[in-house]
Amino acid sequence: MMLQNCPHEKEVRELIESGQWPLAAAPELRAHVSECRACSDLALVSEAFRQGRSETMASASLTSPGVLLWRAQLRRRNAAVERLTRPLLGAQIFALAVTLLAGVGFAGFEARHGVAWLTWLQQLPQGAALDWHNLFSASLANSGWAWMVLFPAFATLVLLGGVAVYMATDKQ
Amino acid sequence: MSWESVLPGAFAGGALERAAAAGISDPAMENDTFAAFYERSARPLWAYLARVSTDSALADDLMQESYVRFLCASGAPSLIDQGESAARLYLFRIATNLLRDHWRRPRAASIEEIPEEFFAAQGRSAQTDSHILLGPALRRMNPRERQLLWLAYAEGYSHREIAQVTGLAAASIRLLLFRARRKIAGFLRAQAAPVGRES
Repeated sequence: MMLQNCPHEKEVRELIESGQWPLAAAPELRAHVSECRACSDLALVSEAFRQGRSETMASASLTSPGVLLWRAQLRRRNAAVERLTRPLLGAQIFALAVTLLAGVGFAGFEARHGVAWLTWLQQLPQGAALDWHNLFSASLANSGWAWMVLFPAFATLVLLGGVAVYMATDKQ
Repeated sequence: MSWESVLPGAFAGGALERAAAAGISDPAMENDTFAAFYERSARPLWAYLARVSTDSALADDLMQESYVRFLCASGAPSLIDQGESAARLYLFRIATNLLRDHWRRPRAASIEEIPEEFFAAQGRSAQTDSHILLGPALRRMNPRERQLLWLAYAEGYSHREIAQVTGLAAASIRLLLFRARRKIAGFLRAQAAPVGRES
C-alpha cells in the first residue's frame, strides 16, 4: 500500500480539531474532500473517533482518587517493608550458613580425631561425679576444641556487628 | 520468628514511612494535585482502555492499576515540574503496557466467573455503538490498530507521542496509521451504507 499524502490534509485536520468542520470549511475544500480518498478518510475517521471519545467518556464510572492514593500508599509501604527486610533476611541466611558450617566442621573434626567426650559421657551413668573442669581441660588440650569455641563466637560477633552497622546507616 | 520482634528499632524512627514516601515532597499537596490531574485524565484514559480492549469491566481494573502504578513509579514525571501532558503520556504508556500484558496472559475464565455488570456494560456500549457505528468497526480491527487509531484520532497525539506510548518506532507509526485509517474508513462506509439506504 502506497502512502499518498494530500496537501489539504493538514487544513482538514486543523478544522476538525477546532470543531469547525465542515461548517467553517470553504466550498472548494469540501468539494476536494468529497473527491480525495485520503482527506475523506481523515474526515470520516476523525469525526467518528471524536464522537466516540465524548460518548465513551460520558459513560465512564470513576473511582474516588482517594481510594487510588490509599492503594498506592499501601503498595509503597509494602515495597518499603520488603526493601527493609531484604538485608535482614540475608543476615538470617548468613547466620544459618555459619551455624551449619560450624556443625559440619565439628562433626568432621570429631569423626577424624575420635570422640573423647563420648567416653566421658559413657562413664557418667556409672556414678562418676560431674566434673566440668576435667571435661574442659581434657577437651581444650586438644587444639580443635579451641577452634570450635572461637569460630562460632567470632561469627556471632561479625553477624551482630553487621546488623548494628546496618541499623546505624539506616537511621542516618 | 520475625526480626521485628527481635529488633523493634529496625522499623522505628520513621524509617518505613521515609522509605514508603520516597520521592514525595509534600503528601498533602500531592493529594490535591493528583485529584485535579485524575479529574482531567481519568475519563480519557478509561475511554482509551474501554475502546481498545472492547471490555468496560477490564477498562475499570486497568485504569485503577494504571493510576496506582503511576503513583508508585519512581520515574514518573512530576505533575508540577514536567507538566500534565508529560504525566498523561506516561499514564497512557502504563495503560498500554497493562493492556499488552493482559493480552499475553492465557485466558482461562469460565462464564460463571464473569460478573453480571460486565454484560450490562457491554449492552450499554453496544447501544451507543450501533448509533455511531464506531464500535462494530473497531471490533473488526486488531488491538494494535485500535490503539494507534484511538491515540491519533481520539486523543490527537502526534506520531512521536504515539511512539512513546506504544513503544513502536516513530518511523513506522505513519505507515501503520495510514493503513489502519484506510481499513477502518472502509468498515465505517460499509456499515453506514445500509443505514443510508434504509433511511
